[in-house]
Amino acid sequence: MSLTQKGRWITVVALGCLAAVYVRALAFTPLERLQGPAQKIFYLHVPAAIWTEAAMVLVGLAGIFYLFLKDPRLDRFAEASAEVGTVFATVVLTTGPIWGKPIWGTWWTWDARLTSTLLLFFLYVGYLLVRGAVRDAGLRARYAAVLGICGMCLVPFIHMSVYLFRTLHPQPIILKPSAPSLPSTMLATWLFSLATFTLLYVGFVTQRYALSLARDARGGGSPGHV
Amino acid sequence: MSDVPQNAGYMVAAYVVTAVILVAYAVSLYRRTNQS
Repeated sequence: MSLTQKGRWITVVALGCLAAVYVRALAFTPLERLQGPAQKIFYLHVPAAIWTEAAMVLVGLAGIFYLFLKDPRLDRFAEASAEVGTVFATVVLTTGPIWGKPIWGTWWTWDARLTSTLLLFFLYVGYLLVRGAVRDAGLRARYAAVLGICGMCLVPFIHMSVYLFRTLHPQPIILKPSAPSLPSTMLATWLFSLATFTLLYVGFVTQRYALSLARDARGGGSPGHV
Repeated sequence: MSDVPQNAGYMVAAYVVTAVILVAYAVSLYRRTNQS
Protein backbone atom coordinates (compact mmCIF):
# COMPACT_ATOMS: atom_id res chain seq x y z
CA MET A 1 0.00 0.00 0.00
CA SER A 2 1.41 3.37 -1.03
CA LEU A 3 1.79 6.33 1.34
CA THR A 4 -1.06 8.13 -0.43
CA GLN A 5 -3.38 5.15 0.04
CA LYS A 6 -2.42 4.86 3.72
CA GLY A 7 -3.16 8.56 4.19
CA ARG A 8 -6.51 8.20 2.42
CA TRP A 9 -7.56 5.26 4.59
CA ILE A 10 -6.58 7.04 7.78
CA THR A 11 -8.51 10.13 6.62
CA VAL A 12 -11.60 8.07 5.75
CA VAL A 13 -11.53 6.41 9.20
CA ALA A 14 -10.98 9.82 10.84
CA LEU A 15 -13.92 11.37 8.97
CA GLY A 16 -16.06 8.41 10.08
CA CYS A 17 -14.95 9.05 13.66
CA LEU A 18 -15.78 12.74 13.19
CA ALA A 19 -19.34 11.76 12.24
CA ALA A 20 -19.47 9.64 15.41
CA VAL A 21 -18.19 12.62 17.44
CA TYR A 22 -21.05 14.70 15.99
CA VAL A 23 -23.62 12.08 17.01
CA ARG A 24 -22.14 11.63 20.48
CA ALA A 25 -21.73 15.37 21.13
CA LEU A 26 -25.12 16.43 19.79
CA ALA A 27 -27.31 13.54 20.92
CA PHE A 28 -25.64 11.78 23.84
CA THR A 29 -23.75 14.49 25.74
CA PRO A 30 -25.71 16.55 28.26
CA LEU A 31 -26.33 20.27 27.82
CA GLU A 32 -24.35 22.71 29.90
CA ARG A 33 -26.99 24.70 31.82
CA LEU A 34 -25.38 28.17 31.76
CA GLN A 35 -24.21 28.28 28.12
CA GLY A 36 -26.84 26.03 26.54
CA PRO A 37 -26.30 24.23 23.22
CA ALA A 38 -23.54 26.67 22.14
CA GLN A 39 -21.23 25.07 24.74
CA LYS A 40 -21.08 21.98 22.50
CA ILE A 41 -18.88 23.97 20.10
CA PHE A 42 -16.22 23.22 22.72
CA TYR A 43 -15.94 19.62 21.41
CA LEU A 44 -14.69 20.89 18.05
CA HIS A 45 -13.06 24.20 18.92
CA VAL A 46 -10.63 22.99 21.60
CA PRO A 47 -9.27 19.85 19.84
CA ALA A 48 -8.81 21.92 16.66
CA ALA A 49 -6.98 24.58 18.72
CA ILE A 50 -4.71 21.98 20.32
CA TRP A 51 -3.74 20.60 16.91
CA THR A 52 -3.33 24.09 15.46
CA GLU A 53 -0.68 24.74 18.11
CA ALA A 54 0.82 21.24 18.07
CA ALA A 55 1.18 21.34 14.28
CA MET A 56 3.18 24.59 14.51
CA VAL A 57 5.40 23.13 17.26
CA LEU A 58 6.11 20.18 14.96
CA VAL A 59 6.83 22.58 12.06
CA GLY A 60 9.30 24.41 14.30
CA LEU A 61 10.98 21.23 15.54
CA ALA A 62 11.26 19.91 11.99
CA GLY A 63 12.76 23.30 11.05
CA ILE A 64 15.41 23.12 13.80
CA PHE A 65 16.42 19.60 12.80
CA TYR A 66 16.38 20.54 9.11
CA LEU A 67 18.84 23.39 9.69
CA PHE A 68 21.27 20.90 11.24
CA LEU A 69 20.67 17.77 9.18
CA LYS A 70 19.50 19.17 5.79
CA ASP A 71 17.25 16.13 5.44
CA PRO A 72 14.54 16.85 2.80
CA ARG A 73 12.10 14.57 4.64
CA LEU A 74 12.03 17.07 7.52
CA ASP A 75 11.24 19.92 5.11
CA ARG A 76 8.45 17.87 3.49
CA PHE A 77 6.99 17.03 6.88
CA ALA A 78 7.11 20.69 7.97
CA GLU A 79 5.37 21.74 4.76
CA ALA A 80 2.64 19.14 5.29
CA SER A 81 2.18 19.97 8.96
CA ALA A 82 1.94 23.71 8.21
CA GLU A 83 -0.76 23.22 5.59
CA VAL A 84 -2.82 20.99 7.90
CA GLY A 85 -2.24 23.42 10.79
CA THR A 86 -3.64 26.21 8.62
CA VAL A 87 -6.80 24.17 8.04
CA PHE A 88 -7.23 23.55 11.77
CA ALA A 89 -6.52 27.23 12.51
CA THR A 90 -9.34 28.11 10.10
CA VAL A 91 -11.66 25.83 12.10
CA VAL A 92 -10.57 27.52 15.34
CA LEU A 93 -10.99 31.05 13.99
CA THR A 94 -14.47 30.33 12.64
CA THR A 95 -15.90 28.25 15.49
CA GLY A 96 -14.45 30.64 18.11
CA PRO A 97 -16.45 33.73 17.04
CA ILE A 98 -19.58 31.59 16.49
CA TRP A 99 -19.22 30.41 20.11
CA GLY A 100 -18.27 33.87 21.37
CA LYS A 101 -21.29 35.71 19.98
CA PRO A 102 -23.99 34.04 22.15
CA ILE A 103 -21.75 33.75 25.24
CA TRP A 104 -19.77 37.02 25.22
CA GLY A 105 -22.18 39.09 23.13
CA THR A 106 -19.53 39.81 20.51
CA TRP A 107 -18.01 37.94 17.58
CA TRP A 108 -14.50 39.17 18.27
CA THR A 109 -12.45 41.05 20.83
CA TRP A 110 -8.78 42.02 20.62
CA ASP A 111 -7.72 40.21 23.77
CA ALA A 112 -4.38 38.42 24.09
CA ARG A 113 -5.59 34.87 23.33
CA LEU A 114 -7.65 35.76 20.27
CA THR A 115 -5.10 38.18 18.86
CA SER A 116 -2.17 35.80 19.31
CA THR A 117 -4.15 32.97 17.70
CA LEU A 118 -4.91 35.24 14.74
CA LEU A 119 -1.18 36.04 14.57
CA LEU A 120 -0.44 32.30 14.48
CA PHE A 121 -2.87 31.95 11.56
CA PHE A 122 -1.07 34.78 9.72
CA LEU A 123 2.26 33.07 10.43
CA TYR A 124 0.88 29.87 8.89
CA VAL A 125 -0.30 31.79 5.83
CA GLY A 126 3.06 33.61 5.63
CA TYR A 127 4.88 30.30 5.90
CA LEU A 128 2.92 28.85 2.98
CA LEU A 129 3.36 32.05 0.94
CA VAL A 130 7.14 31.98 1.48
CA ARG A 131 7.21 28.37 0.34
CA GLY A 132 5.27 29.31 -2.77
CA ALA A 133 7.33 32.43 -3.53
CA VAL A 134 10.93 31.17 -3.26
CA ARG A 135 12.01 29.10 -6.27
CA ASP A 136 15.36 27.87 -4.96
CA ALA A 137 14.54 24.70 -2.99
CA GLY A 138 17.40 24.95 -0.50
CA LEU A 139 16.73 28.63 0.21
CA ARG A 140 13.00 27.98 0.49
CA ALA A 141 13.56 25.21 3.04
CA ARG A 142 15.87 27.44 5.13
CA TYR A 143 13.51 30.45 5.08
CA ALA A 144 10.58 28.19 5.93
CA ALA A 145 12.51 26.54 8.78
CA VAL A 146 13.27 29.92 10.36
CA LEU A 147 9.65 31.04 10.00
CA GLY A 148 8.49 27.73 11.50
CA ILE A 149 10.78 28.21 14.49
CA CYS A 150 9.32 31.72 15.00
CA GLY A 151 5.82 30.21 14.91
CA MET A 152 6.81 27.55 17.42
CA CYS A 153 8.05 30.25 19.81
CA LEU A 154 4.62 31.91 19.65
CA VAL A 155 2.76 28.78 20.83
CA PRO A 156 3.70 28.88 24.56
CA PHE A 157 2.72 32.56 24.61
CA ILE A 158 -0.71 31.69 23.16
CA HIS A 159 -1.24 29.01 25.80
CA MET A 160 -0.07 31.26 28.67
CA SER A 161 -1.82 34.41 27.42
CA VAL A 162 -4.95 33.73 29.49
CA TYR A 163 -2.80 33.65 32.64
CA LEU A 164 -0.55 36.59 31.73
CA PHE A 165 -3.30 39.02 30.68
CA ARG A 166 -6.89 39.79 31.61
CA THR A 167 -8.77 38.18 28.74
CA LEU A 168 -12.38 37.55 27.82
CA HIS A 169 -11.29 34.08 26.70
CA PRO A 170 -11.66 31.60 29.59
CA GLN A 171 -8.74 29.79 31.18
CA PRO A 172 -8.21 26.11 30.26
CA ILE A 173 -10.53 23.63 31.97
CA ILE A 174 -8.65 20.55 30.76
CA LEU A 175 -5.04 21.41 29.88
CA LYS A 176 -4.09 22.77 33.31
CA PRO A 177 -2.00 21.54 36.26
CA SER A 178 -5.03 20.40 38.30
CA ALA A 179 -7.64 17.80 37.28
CA PRO A 180 -10.06 18.70 34.44
CA SER A 181 -13.10 20.59 35.71
CA LEU A 182 -15.56 18.79 33.46
CA PRO A 183 -18.16 16.04 34.11
CA SER A 184 -16.98 12.59 32.99
CA THR A 185 -19.55 12.32 30.15
CA MET A 186 -18.40 15.61 28.65
CA LEU A 187 -14.75 14.72 29.19
CA ALA A 188 -15.24 11.39 27.37
CA THR A 189 -16.80 13.17 24.37
CA TRP A 190 -13.98 15.69 24.33
CA LEU A 191 -11.30 12.97 24.51
CA PHE A 192 -13.00 11.11 21.65
CA SER A 193 -12.98 14.33 19.62
CA LEU A 194 -9.32 14.96 20.45
CA ALA A 195 -8.44 11.42 19.28
CA THR A 196 -10.42 12.04 16.08
CA PHE A 197 -8.61 15.30 15.36
CA THR A 198 -5.31 13.52 16.02
CA LEU A 199 -6.27 10.87 13.45
CA LEU A 200 -7.34 13.61 11.01
CA TYR A 201 -3.97 15.31 11.45
CA VAL A 202 -2.11 12.05 10.77
CA GLY A 203 -4.25 11.23 7.73
CA PHE A 204 -3.98 14.72 6.24
CA VAL A 205 -0.23 15.03 6.87
CA THR A 206 0.43 11.57 5.41
CA GLN A 207 -1.39 12.50 2.19
CA ARG A 208 0.21 15.93 2.01
CA TYR A 209 3.65 14.41 2.60
CA ALA A 210 3.03 11.91 -0.21
CA LEU A 211 2.10 14.82 -2.47
CA SER A 212 5.43 16.57 -1.76
CA LEU A 213 7.27 13.28 -2.22
CA ALA A 214 5.71 12.82 -5.66
CA ARG A 215 6.63 16.42 -6.58
CA ASP A 216 10.23 15.91 -5.44
CA ALA A 217 10.45 12.61 -7.30
CA ARG A 218 9.64 14.54 -10.48
CA GLY A 219 12.54 16.83 -9.60
CA GLY A 220 10.23 19.69 -8.71
CA GLY A 221 11.90 21.17 -5.71
CA SER A 222 13.38 18.93 -3.07
CA PRO A 223 16.03 20.86 -1.12
CA GLY A 224 18.10 17.67 -1.32
CA HIS A 225 18.33 18.06 -5.09
CA VAL A 226 20.03 21.45 -4.99
CA MET B 1 -34.82 23.48 31.32
CA SER B 2 -36.58 26.80 30.70
CA ASP B 3 -33.57 28.84 31.93
CA VAL B 4 -31.16 27.18 29.48
CA PRO B 5 -30.16 29.69 26.74
CA GLN B 6 -31.76 29.03 23.37
CA ASN B 7 -28.72 29.29 21.09
CA ALA B 8 -28.78 26.00 19.18
CA GLY B 9 -28.44 27.89 15.88
CA TYR B 10 -24.87 28.90 16.75
CA MET B 11 -24.02 25.30 17.63
CA VAL B 12 -25.42 24.02 14.33
CA ALA B 13 -23.54 26.73 12.41
CA ALA B 14 -20.22 25.80 14.06
CA TYR B 15 -20.70 22.09 13.40
CA VAL B 16 -21.64 22.71 9.75
CA VAL B 17 -18.70 25.09 9.18
CA THR B 18 -16.24 22.60 10.71
CA ALA B 19 -17.55 19.74 8.57
CA VAL B 20 -17.38 21.88 5.42
CA ILE B 21 -13.77 22.97 6.09
CA LEU B 22 -12.49 19.48 6.93
CA VAL B 23 -14.32 17.64 4.15
CA ALA B 24 -13.32 20.32 1.61
CA TYR B 25 -9.67 19.88 2.57
CA ALA B 26 -9.96 16.07 2.40
CA VAL B 27 -11.47 16.37 -1.10
CA SER B 28 -8.75 18.87 -2.11
CA LEU B 29 -6.05 16.42 -1.01
CA TYR B 30 -7.76 13.55 -2.82
CA ARG B 31 -7.90 15.53 -6.07
CA ARG B 32 -4.31 16.79 -5.78
CA THR B 33 -2.88 13.34 -5.04
CA ASN B 34 -4.86 11.93 -7.99
CA GLN B 35 -3.36 14.55 -10.31
CA SER B 36 0.22 14.01 -9.10
